[in-house]
Amino acid sequence: MSQVNQETAQGISEEREARAVVYNFLSSLFAKEVTSDLVAQLTSAQGQSFLNSLALEPSLTGSIEGIKAKFAKLNSEESLLELAADFCGLFLVDGRASVSPYAGQYVSAKKSAEPSVETGSRSKKDKIQIFGELHQKMTEFLTDNKLQIHSDFPEPGDHIAVILAYIAHLCVTAEPKEQGHFIKCYLMTWLSDFTQQVNEHDHGLFYSYVADLTLAWLNVDTEFLPNN
Amino acid sequence: MKEIVMKRRNFLKGILATSFTLASAASVLTPLTALAKVGAKKRDDWLTTGSHFGAFKVKRKNGVIDQVKPFDLDKYPTDMINGVKGLVYNPSRIRYPMVRLDFLLKGHKSDTTQRGDFRFVRVTWDQALTLFKQSLDEVQTNYGPSGLHAGQTGWRATGQLHSSTSHMQRAVAMHGNFVKKIGDYSTGAGQTILPYVLGSTEVYAQGTSWPLILDNAKTIILWANDPYKNLQVGWNAETHESYEYLAQLKEKVKQGKIRVISIDPVASKTQDYLGCEKIYVNPQTDVALMLAIAYELYSNNLHDQKFIDGYSLGFDRFVPYLTGESDGIAKTPEWAEKITSVPVDVIKDLAKTMVAGRTQFLMGWCIQRQQHGEQPYWMAAVLATMVGQIGLPGGGISYGHHYSSIGVPSSGAAAPGAFPRNLDEGQKPIFDSKDFKGASSTIPVARWIDAILEPGKVIDANGAKVTYPDIKMMIFSGNNPWNHHQDRNRMKEAFHKLECVVSIDINWTATCRFSDIVLPACTTMERNDIDIYGSYANRGLLAMQKMVEPLFDSLSDYEIFTRFARILGKEKEYTRGMTELDWLKKLYSECKTANDGKFVMPEFEQFWQDGYVHFGEGKPWTRHADFRDDPEINPLGTPSGLIEIFSRKIERYQYDDCKGHPTWMEKSERSHGGPGSDKHPIWMQSCHPDKRLHSQMCESKEYRQTYAVQDREPVYLNPEDAKKRGIKNGDVVRVFNDRGQLLAGAVVSKNFPKGVIRIHEGAWYGPVGDDGSITGGAKVGALCSYGDPNTLTQDIGSSKLAQACSAYTCLVDYEKFRGKLPQVTSFQGPLEIGA
Repeated sequence: MSQVNQETAQGISEEREARAVVYNFLSSLFAKEVTSDLVAQLTSAQGQSFLNSLALEPSLTGSIEGIKAKFAKLNSEESLLELAADFCGLFLVDGRASVSPYAGQYVSAKKSAEPSVETGSRSKKDKIQIFGELHQKMTEFLTDNKLQIHSDFPEPGDHIAVILAYIAHLCVTAEPKEQGHFIKCYLMTWLSDFTQQVNEHDHGLFYSYVADLTLAWLNVDTEFLPNN
Repeated sequence: MKEIVMKRRNFLKGILATSFTLASAASVLTPLTALAKVGAKKRDDWLTTGSHFGAFKVKRKNGVIDQVKPFDLDKYPTDMINGVKGLVYNPSRIRYPMVRLDFLLKGHKSDTTQRGDFRFVRVTWDQALTLFKQSLDEVQTNYGPSGLHAGQTGWRATGQLHSSTSHMQRAVAMHGNFVKKIGDYSTGAGQTILPYVLGSTEVYAQGTSWPLILDNAKTIILWANDPYKNLQVGWNAETHESYEYLAQLKEKVKQGKIRVISIDPVASKTQDYLGCEKIYVNPQTDVALMLAIAYELYSNNLHDQKFIDGYSLGFDRFVPYLTGESDGIAKTPEWAEKITSVPVDVIKDLAKTMVAGRTQFLMGWCIQRQQHGEQPYWMAAVLATMVGQIGLPGGGISYGHHYSSIGVPSSGAAAPGAFPRNLDEGQKPIFDSKDFKGASSTIPVARWIDAILEPGKVIDANGAKVTYPDIKMMIFSGNNPWNHHQDRNRMKEAFHKLECVVSIDINWTATCRFSDIVLPACTTMERNDIDIYGSYANRGLLAMQKMVEPLFDSLSDYEIFTRFARILGKEKEYTRGMTELDWLKKLYSECKTANDGKFVMPEFEQFWQDGYVHFGEGKPWTRHADFRDDPEINPLGTPSGLIEIFSRKIERYQYDDCKGHPTWMEKSERSHGGPGSDKHPIWMQSCHPDKRLHSQMCESKEYRQTYAVQDREPVYLNPEDAKKRGIKNGDVVRVFNDRGQLLAGAVVSKNFPKGVIRIHEGAWYGPVGDDGSITGGAKVGALCSYGDPNTLTQDIGSSKLAQACSAYTCLVDYEKFRGKLPQVTSFQGPLEIGA
């Protein structure tokens, strides 16, 4: 391999790694409540420079600034509990003011697998059973990739945090085409609906910024993937 | 283009250059373990389990329940089998232990007016159980055992090991003593009065076998009884064997061999099924009708004086009331017609029919769930005594043939024991005080809200005085009083006074939403257990095999309270050092020993592999036959050993609302010209549901959608009444009285007479603001968005005797709902409604 090719290969590998870091970061924000440890990490110099590096992309700047501002105020146990209550009300219970973190509640597996077919999101009223087709599909994907959901995270496979973590895995293991196909079929079909609902129901705004960031990141990232 | 690619490359490189990785937040994914891989395939076989709704075979796919079919022996499975999957996978599941935020921050000083309307946070099991213990410490230290009520119990989920009440009460008893209840909501008045009259509760007693009834009865009186609806569910795994006999009965009715007369204000499901006769009676006036039949029997000398003399006590003290000698009112058919709307000739004919041949009375439970609910049960026993056939096959009276397959011959096998509810001998609680500060340690089941609102008040109950304890904390496990208790708005006021409420349940019931600490239990499908197949039939022993791992962070009842006992430092005492499997083996082997020599049972391992052991069929049996055979050798459990038409014991209590013999008394509210009917003219019937077990399965979303109307619980309306109000099928209706208001979906049906509506109890409570807006659900007066009938019912005791619930004494009115239709809030987790 020539030096140029080596450099290119290294560059591609770094790009993939960088993208995986971002996907894992987003996954972790949807997986669990913000802890004081996470606040410490993200308000450290390294954490700030990570956020700042993301904010260099203009479409991400607004939400990153929002997240930074929120993190700056998370300086007490009570403020963390208030944020935890936001998380709980949004993602851990079902209801009028909640937002389902499960893909299956927005689209059926069949629709996802055939993106050419209408991918209209479901209204809340039509929500289907949890642990449904998309959970099955994700379980199959994970098993095929010799992965499973961590026992500390007892959620269905179509939880947004699982999907984002799986994309992080694909970033470093799969061809761009496969990544693009997966993202298009299993995330982009419902992410904007999800984001819209978070914005509608999240009075604390932190998760609105996180959802906005996720959608904006996906838009930026998928621009360079085939099958887009 | 190249420039853009470079820009992107630099952007990504910049991210990587920060060397940021999430130290603490490990990925939600992990390499697949060999164990999970192997397990996945093996677990896709058909497995066996049981439930209140019947026994099933279940098949899984990738650890998810895929198909449910009836157990091989179940020839009449309920339609509710279609809701079983939804019991496990429904959006109302409690996913994690949670604590109300304000309670977490301020503990027992939290703002309790926000209950039912506030934010929760997820906590770990350790945190939740530690908070639970701390609250118990605080209550026992500050108030003693009278401050804690952990005695309310509900219909739990089936299974002898994981029964929720047993676990909660044994574990909490290891911490300290607490207030308990007596009686239940289903049969409170009946089970209190009948021991005085017939010597046992009767409501939960095995009854004369159906084959004997079918062979011998000429007439069957279904009095406010709907067995075809109610036999779908049972206390243990239901066999549905009664349906075979109902099918035979239907055939006999068709052939004119048995006359079935349903006495009921409404045309019941059973009546429709059997195609039987019907006599309409005004709601709550059954006692007047029974008295008139008795009068007719007595005045025409049609009663069995010989039986009365030989087997009963106090007829002579009752007759002066019947004839009017004691109160100036003869209980004639003419007198009764005015109250009951049953024509004189129909009453007279009924009397004649009852003594014309073998007559079997089959009483339902609804008519004792009303003010003076003791009276119809007592008077029906008097009537059956006058007919003189008690103890004969196909004659006499039953109070339970609509329940858990009572009347199906029992195999006679011994059922397995259960995990202990109480402390083992010699075990002592951490807080051992038994000082209830002068208050009663046991209170009538339906009077706990009274106690919270009026601590220290002294009431009469079943011959004793009860002093209400000052309750500060309540614990509910597998129990949803925000379904079965009356008058939601009164409950809200009471809950404001509680310092701490703990709920252990599968779903976000309204009880959970009005709690401070909420702990997720898993369903029967997510744990191993055993159960008797048929509560009374004892047809066999059923393995309840775990189908899937507990969803989310839920745990089995055994595991929840083992962990709690660990926090108390009493884990070994709690579990006796045994695992779930050890307990199953113990319960099984004790059952095997008890059946030794009579019923063949394989070793546990074989049983578990087979999923079931069959005990065979039973022999027909007649209730009270032994008593009839020789009342001296086989006396009833009454004070005299005889049927007590007059009870000296009750007379000595000197209650104005339950005298020495059955009496007709006007109700606080009664439709069809009774008190209050000028303001709210409609009687609301809130009987057991057709498509649920009380409130269980209301959460099963897809199944609920098969009967809901515009997402609301159905309200069954009389066509003429509905028309008068401009209401048609499918409209949303606001039902109201001075106690509350609800929305329900109109089903107009000629099965319901004028002045009567029905809303099945068990419809989940989902309050929204009284104008339908999303704010204000926690307020008193809020509108129930789904249609819980107990939003409207009256919270009064049946009488000074039983102090039982009186849900059936309830008048309402209704109108077409014209406001903006609020979204149903019943099936969601807690939220800040005001936000």
